[in-house]
Amino acid sequence: MKVTFPYMGTTVVYKKLLEMLGHDVILPPKPTRKTIDIGVKYSPEFACFPLKVIMGSYFEAIQKGAEVIVTSGGNGPCRAGFYERVHQRILESEGHDIDFIVFDSMFRDPQTFYRNIERLRDGTPWHKVLKSLLLIYDMIGKLDHLEKEVQRIRAYEKNRGETTRIWEAIQKDFDQAYTSHTMKSAFKKGKEKLQSIPVKHVDKEDCIKIGIVGEIYVVMEDSINMKMEQLLNSLGAEVERSQYLSQWVTYNMLPKWINWTHEKAVLKKGEPYIPILIGGHAKQSVGQIVDYGQRDFDGVVHLMPFGCLPELVSQSIVPKISEDYNIPVLTISLDEQTGIANNQTRVEAFLDLVRGKRKQRLNKEEKMVGKKPESYCTSG
Amino acid sequence: MKIGIPRALLYHYYYPFWKTYFDSLGIETVVSSPTNKWIMDKGIKYSVPEICVPIKVYLGHVLELIDRGVDYIFVPRFVSIQKGQFFCPKFMGLPDIIRHTFPEMEPVMLSPYVESTTDDLATSLKQYQIFEDKFGITRSDNRKALKKAETVWKLFREYSLNGYDIPEATQKAMSEGCQTIGDYKRSLDDKYEYAEVTIGVLGYVYNIYDSVISLDIVNRLKEMGVRIKTFEMIDDETLKKQLANMPKTLFWTFSDKLFAAGNHFYHDPDVDGIIHVTAFGCGPDSMLGKLLELDSTKFEKPFMTVRIDEHSGENHLQTRAEAFVDMLKRRKRKLKKGALA
Ligand code: SF4
Ligand code: SF4
Repeated sequence: MKVTFPYMGTTVVYKKLLEMLGHDVILPPKPTRKTIDIGVKYSPEFACFPLKVIMGSYFEAIQKGAEVIVTSGGNGPCRAGFYERVHQRILESEGHDIDFIVFDSMFRDPQTFYRNIERLRDGTPWHKVLKSLLLIYDMIGKLDHLEKEVQRIRAYEKNRGETTRIWEAIQKDFDQAYTSHTMKSAFKKGKEKLQSIPVKHVDKEDCIKIGIVGEIYVVMEDSINMKMEQLLNSLGAEVERSQYLSQWVTYNMLPKWINWTHEKAVLKKGEPYIPILIGGHAKQSVGQIVDYGQRDFDGVVHLMPFGCLPELVSQSIVPKISEDYNIPVLTISLDEQTGIANNQTRVEAFLDLVRGKRKQRLNKEEKMVGKKPESYCTSG
Repeated sequence: MKIGIPRALLYHYYYPFWKTYFDSLGIETVVSSPTNKWIMDKGIKYSVPEICVPIKVYLGHVLELIDRGVDYIFVPRFVSIQKGQFFCPKFMGLPDIIRHTFPEMEPVMLSPYVESTTDDLATSLKQYQIFEDKFGITRSDNRKALKKAETVWKLFREYSLNGYDIPEATQKAMSEGCQTIGDYKRSLDDKYEYAEVTIGVLGYVYNIYDSVISLDIVNRLKEMGVRIKTFEMIDDETLKKQLANMPKTLFWTFSDKLFAAGNHFYHDPDVDGIIHVTAFGCGPDSMLGKLLELDSTKFEKPFMTVRIDEHSGENHLQTRAEAFVDMLKRRKRKLKKGALA
């Protein structure tokens, strides 16, 4: 089968999985202005931004020959669970008769889940499937590990753009790796490469850490979030995201009673603000801001798709949390204009504020402790 | 002691229930004024700009009640009234939006969790236990009050199902109290008899029946001699049947009802055209609206979307509605002629 999938974050992961099951993978192109324009043209005006981008990327993948689309139904009661219906119907009205394989949570509807697996497995023996799954899981973990390094090192790189280039090369290496052995060496090589990047010395009081929270798609896909991580890094801030693929997979794969993932803990922290799951990632976003507040981050960037229902609820609550935990939060709503705009000034202004706050705080601490914090280089 | 009930969101579906319930417990209630400019402006001022109009308006109503000096505000948290189905995230998070926007309100908010398996709220006593603790009500009084509320609300629903719109049904059900009158059937002595066309008006009760939000579209259409059908006039069985035919339904109860009603209107030979009234920024509507719009050609029934926001212009709406109605009338005459020839 010639399959494709929605573009989100480190796509080599899905590509590899489908390849290992013996499919012809049509890699959707990374979303560009054009993708967004196509998506906007065919989607309902008030569809959330991810739906539009994915719509556009389907059209592009179909042009490249895709026949089947594999996607997940999204978690929590939100629109994502209905994306595929709308996408399919729109594609149909444009004359594309495309098959969808939709993975909803296996706990909600095990039968369909199994049927979908059977379709995707397409005769591949089970032990091979299992092996591939484990390999992929391993790979996700490794990639996430390296990405976290990237998000720190890039803030201090001497040569602008070097870290990103190396990170792309690392992903290519992983793309070529099909055994656990080659994967291991790709990982090792990747680590070394990252460590060899020349970095600037920065005093501790000038190192700032920013957390990124929000709806999963716009958090994970940098081509539509103004390349937020790179932007923050280039302005000298270390970055951590609220979501990494490995966490997402673990959280969604484990049944409730043994689910002790990070995500669980974060949800707990969101409880005082939103006591129940209201759909999408609102509660996670809220909990994550609390988490960053407790871990002494210097600021949070809250990303939401324009018109995102649950995130509008969290947006309404953000000022309160920001006050409670004394952590500055910048909410950015992304749509077809802002998503890829070069909107540096807002972020710059925010970082100025963050730095100012940090200085204030350090001064206070200094007075209390009576000595200057020792200076050292984070990237050591 | 007075409890304030905001005249917004599901007030338009559950007022007969709530009012009867509090009345029979001897608790005084105050309903906010019909949406006006003050309410609208306040709501807009305190909400995040992107949120949909009905939520903004709700905030305005809450503020008006506070202004009028009520002791408590009734802001239920609607989670689910149907198994496996939920409310739009903004409903589920509504009390959170309010208590974190106005922290001083938290102590005076009464926010029962509405979680039941049917839209008859009396079926889950659990929601109402908070009133026992708060106001020293006995369990049996609570039960009795719920029973009464249920009866009136069912009467109200019965009127709706027989073609009365919500203000009419509310009035009828509430004035009769619990003594049921046999004939709910809409008497045909009014204009309806002569109505040339029938339009299925799709929209949430809190938009359609808030004459400021919807710019009074229902009455405008009625004045043009149009008969109106809305989702709450269709019985649950029919709606369920429509949904059963679909490969996948939405997650949200009222959106699903609209979606089903829209499909029903396409199949209902009495309905000549459909108007979808949707609030600016309503996420669920963007999806069901698109799907229904795409079906319009398939069923050869005209479909029009009316998008409302805080700046909607009356004249514009009037012109569009008139044009749509004229078109339906012409179309109908032509079809009739065609059938005769
Ligand atoms: S969480 Fe937001 S972006 Fe995701 S489906 Fe819901 S409304 Fe859309
Ligand atoms: S269903 Fe639409 S109009 Fe109603 S609260 Fe949700 S987004 Fe707003």
